[in-house]
Amino acid sequence: MGLIQREIERVGIATIGISIVRDYSEKVQPPRTVFLRWPFGHPLGEPGNLPQQRAVVFEALRALYQIETPGTIIDLPFRWRRENYADYQPPSAAELE
Amino acid sequence: MNLTRFKNRALTRLATVLPGLKQRFIDAYQPRASAGEIPWIKPAKPLRQAKLALVTTAGIHHRTQQPFDMNDSDGDPSYRALNGEELFNDFQITHDYYDHTDARKDPNIILPLRPLQEMVRAGLLGSLAQTHYAFMGHIVGRHITTLVEKTAREVAAKLKADQVDLVLLTPA
Repeated sequence: MGLIQREIERVGIATIGISIVRDYSEKVQPPRTVFLRWPFGHPLGEPGNLPQQRAVVFEALRALYQIETPGTIIDLPFRWRRENYADYQPPSAAELE
Repeated sequence: MNLTRFKNRALTRLATVLPGLKQRFIDAYQPRASAGEIPWIKPAKPLRQAKLALVTTAGIHHRTQQPFDMNDSDGDPSYRALNGEELFNDFQITHDYYDHTDARKDPNIILPLRPLQEMVRAGLLGSLAQTHYAFMGHIVGRHITTLVEKTAREVAAKLKADQVDLVLLTPA
């Protein structure tokens, strides 16, 4: 996935990738990555858990705007199946510009 | 289905319930390492004005499209263009290297169209592209070159032509 990401960034489109295997991202070095220690097939979490999906998307977009150094991997704090998303605070408008 | 495909699918199901197996899958597949400068461009616009597209390697596609080729052991480096408005009405996942039981129940866990559509309605995201792209992932051997030098570049050019500002990529 990171190889594709690099080609997209190369044409002048800013990219963010979600990773579930940190080793792969370290090797491939995409421009920006958020990492989750979650099972294969579940980059946005569990089926039907919309608050979880929203939180991952928001954190990916925050990283897209906030990462300043090429190749950065941000480890997201969300644990698999033990997280309460009711208290999740999405990024402010200023963090997304 | 041949024996190799059967074995791959059975193992992927086990890997979802036995986290220890995930490491075996990780060790068995090694992506190509990159060297040199990392491509880099700052987001062109604030999110509330930007157009975003999704690119996934989860092997999802419209049921009417040709499935990815699962019989080539080097993988299938081709891609499918996805219509974001229609995809979830009739989709298929062709990918033997992960368990898609949950993704079939809710494809937003591999391609988060619903939360992004919500963000557009809320005015947080400018717009969502109509066309998104799916690859299959697990590309090895001779097809890595095809992917990097041909198909990934084709998709990048199409996204650029569609005036996409931001791309979110999801694996499987």
